[in-house]
Amino acid sequence: MEKQELIEKINEVLAEEFEKEVEEITPDADIKSTLELDSLSLVDMVALIESEFGVKIKGTEVAEVKTFGALYDFVYSRMNA
Amino acid sequence: MSDTPLLKGQELFKLIPQRAPIVMVDAFYEAAEGKAHTGLTIAADNMFCRNGLFTEPGLIEHIAQSAAAFAGYGNYCQGKQPQLGFIGEVKKLRIQRLPEVGSQLHTFLEVKGEAAGVTLVAAETKEGEEVVAACQMKIFIKE
Repeated sequence: MEKQELIEKINEVLAEEFEKEVEEITPDADIKSTLELDSLSLVDMVALIESEFGVKIKGTEVAEVKTFGALYDFVYSRMNA
Repeated sequence: MSDTPLLKGQELFKLIPQRAPIVMVDAFYEAAEGKAHTGLTIAADNMFCRNGLFTEPGLIEHIAQSAAAFAGYGNYCQGKQPQLGFIGEVKKLRIQRLPEVGSQLHTFLEVKGEAAGVTLVAAETKEGEEVVAACQMKIFIKE
């Protein structure tokens, strides 16, 4: 999957799951505040990324993936590792 | 699917902190690669039974304790004591019917994700081949 295609797919599934407009999801935006994730719902995003893209985000890695841009890079690199 | 429990009855006390009369899992069959299999035979004096049926709170508690036993098994293998767990959220709960006294329930769990100390577990409880309950549950284990 090309990176731009992956970005669009990530935006689409996150917007649908967390009931946001796709336009709100931009590379520099903070994931937690944009998707209104708290300590309980953060795991929903982790599970969604694993089920949709087959990429597991470990506990220590979640803390490092703060923006959507970082998430795109993380998922793309794991899918192409 | 294994038919022989790794742990059963009071041996489960090595995995979960609950004690009678609130113990809602009595067999632990297997755990591997983010999946586990537990069981419960519903006794007539089970505190969640009404009119010969195992009620909805009992099914939810059974699934929660199955998830706790799953987490506890990891600790047990490392020589640690069972830890207190809390249900953070129950999602997508479906209860098809209430099992009768004497039923043997088998619950199959799969970890769907972990973040910030919270584990998302998908669970399916069966009697024979029939699914009687299913849900997703977020569990927080106190360190």
